[in-house]
Amino acid sequence: MKARSSAAARTESTAWSDDGVAAVGDAWNHFWFRHVEAWPLALVRVGAAAIALAAWWSYAADLQAWFGPAGVLPVDTVRQWRSPFGFSLFDWATTPAALTALFGGMGVVFALLLVGFATPVVAPLAAVLWASLLHRGPMLAGPADDCIAILLWCLAIGPAGESWMMLRWPGNRVTSRAPGADWRAGISQGLLQVHVTAIAVAAVLAQLKGDVWWNGEAARYLAAAPRSGAAGLLPLLDRSEYLTNLLTHGVTAFEILFAIGLWCGPTQRLMARIGLVGWPLVGLLAGEPLWGLAMALFALPLAVRR
Amino acid sequence: MTPPIKNSSPSARTQAVVTVVLAVYLLGLVLSIVGNTASGSSAVVRTIKSRLFAPWMVPPWLDLGFDYRLTYGSDEEGDFRIEVRRQGDTETAALQLPGRLTGERAARWRRLARSIALEDADRDGLLSAAVGRGMFDRLHAEDVNVRVLRTPLADRGAPPASAVQASSARVRMVDGELQLLRAEPRGEVAPLVRRPGGGEATDGQGKKPAEATR
Repeated sequence: MKARSSAAARTESTAWSDDGVAAVGDAWNHFWFRHVEAWPLALVRVGAAAIALAAWWSYAADLQAWFGPAGVLPVDTVRQWRSPFGFSLFDWATTPAALTALFGGMGVVFALLLVGFATPVVAPLAAVLWASLLHRGPMLAGPADDCIAILLWCLAIGPAGESWMMLRWPGNRVTSRAPGADWRAGISQGLLQVHVTAIAVAAVLAQLKGDVWWNGEAARYLAAAPRSGAAGLLPLLDRSEYLTNLLTHGVTAFEILFAIGLWCGPTQRLMARIGLVGWPLVGLLAGEPLWGLAMALFALPLAVRR
Repeated sequence: MTPPIKNSSPSARTQAVVTVVLAVYLLGLVLSIVGNTASGSSAVVRTIKSRLFAPWMVPPWLDLGFDYRLTYGSDEEGDFRIEVRRQGDTETAALQLPGRLTGERAARWRRLARSIALEDADRDGLLSAAVGRGMFDRLHAEDVNVRVLRTPLADRGAPPASAVQASSARVRMVDGELQLLRAEPRGEVAPLVRRPGGGEATDGQGKKPAEATR
């Protein structure tokens, strides 16, 4: 009798664990291998290419001054400075002409990504070239550059070129929204969701190690920084400590709610839409407008999903 | 013709391969975040990340910590700028970077300036030497002074802070060899002892005031 009840308990326990494993497996498969529409990814492609072009352009005027043969960041110095695993195609551009050509080619690749031409080839190429440029001068890279790299790799995985094409392959019709869904789009959009959450969580954790995010003064320091797009707010923040505190805690609360809300069904679309406005504002306050826009792009597919 | 839309599901084998790849990548993502914080990381995380994940996550620029603190209001923040001038030339205005530049372009110069000012011990002087060397042609000189100035963020109610020197080094070419003579912060230099009779200043061990040479 005792042995029989023990065996029954074991069977029940195994069934529970099997159910648990199956539930986790189902959730995993549902999240990563769901079929989602590809057109939101194409919107991300257009936005990411535009931001990448803006970031690429910020290198243009000083390209030779930084990376040229007589520049301030010679290859040998950068190789000593960066990670030993760092790798850059720009290391081989040792003449001004070669550097200009490679850099110019990169601009063409980003432009092709923007218009959606040959995206399955262009998107991975854009990601490789962007990583190469960042490795050529890692000390020049900022938060926006990191996010652009992630966006480009996510675009390289999914069918980002199947709609919102402004330039077409011969024989293909120009489309604005292609119908249908694709599991690769699901993986790309899943990766965007995971990354934007990871970034928000890591940013909050980093911020909360600083006193100014607890005593509410962070917003004032951000507005006082030379790059801030909210310098006009500084006199107001100087006058009102409460307003400064509200703004500071508002940024923290937004980041936390965004990271959580993106994973709850009922709040997902709302938080993604708030993110479309919230991240650019945080970026503007922090003096990192491109970073703010890039963060908004991560949330775009969830905000526009039907 | 509209491009074909792929509606088919991946095969079980494809799903299995993609699952493994995703799981490994997500583990790498977590380790990158844990291992790249400003607070440092444990030896075990550092070792696993650097041996198993960094070799394939660094080249595509995916080994990222995302610790975007935005501000701590600390002394290490503020406006960093590079100032380069010919050694001993106090007449000509120094070359300032980013100077009047704005936007992302200026931000990149500021990041370079900050990197010079906060270079760790392993890289001490590497960027100062490179920047100085890169400015030789522009300044028509082979002996220049590279300074990084930092304007701290002003506290509430305080007047705008004035710029302080965060780093200074003399970079020169001597017989085809690049030399960097770093100006040590005043507090870190050994007390000077004047020889009786007004001889050359020396430190307590009878050496000239220290200037690192590389």
